[in-house]
Amino acid sequence: MSRKPYQPSMPANWWLKHPAYRFYMLREATVLPLLFFIGSLLYGLYCLSQGEASWLGWLNWMQQPWVMALNALALLASLFHAFTFFRLFPQVMPLRLGGRTLPASWMVAGQWLGVLLVFLALWWLLGGYHGSN
Amino acid sequence: MAATKRYQRSDEPIWWSLFSAGGVCVAMLIPALIVLLVFGPWLGLLSAEALSYQRMSALLYHPLGVLFIGAVIILPLFHAMHRIHHGLHDLQWAHSSLAKWLCYGSAVLLSLLALGLWLLGVFV
Repeated sequence: MSRKPYQPSMPANWWLKHPAYRFYMLREATVLPLLFFIGSLLYGLYCLSQGEASWLGWLNWMQQPWVMALNALALLASLFHAFTFFRLFPQVMPLRLGGRTLPASWMVAGQWLGVLLVFLALWWLLGGYHGSN
Repeated sequence: MAATKRYQRSDEPIWWSLFSAGGVCVAMLIPALIVLLVFGPWLGLLSAEALSYQRMSALLYHPLGVLFIGAVIILPLFHAMHRIHHGLHDLQWAHSSLAKWLCYGSAVLLSLLALGLWLLGVFV
């Protein structure tokens, strides 16, 4: 062991000093509005267990402007998270099909197609088609 | 034969697996859920009757409803608290094992709360 080990300094604002670091921190921060949406869901779960009047109260609460604004932020954050997350899949687990590697862009597009299919399935489940008839 | 050295096993694979599974759920399910639940009635995508108490309790308190709770509440909670735990370290706000206990502990407690509320609705 050396007598004077080099100790690099690490200022707490290191992440402000490079665009890549700021991008990383923004991605990590996507969980903050997500936590608000999860909290909304927990509140809804509680209200549903308390009966009809309580559930209607939750539906009204969800339509309050400040709640909608924070959940709109959660939507943008989840889409940004998805954008960064889907790019990892072709790097972590390249798929081979018929002897050649599937292009990364196809795998990313396939995952966005999955998001769309999930949306349509959930819409159908919640009665988007039947409820309006 | 060399003496076997005892290694302290890291628990990181457990938290990382939950984080990763939660990340898939947040990317795949949460956008659709926010659009429908928050903006669905407002945009006219869903009728008032679609989100009625009768329909929602029938859907959510179905035995498969617990999978929904796991995918949109429990796994995203572990995803979020993992990022917060590492974020606190990155920002140099907290390095202690207490911070780790508080992060994952709150994810565990809120998950138990979600399961408890679901069971309350199913059986009461």
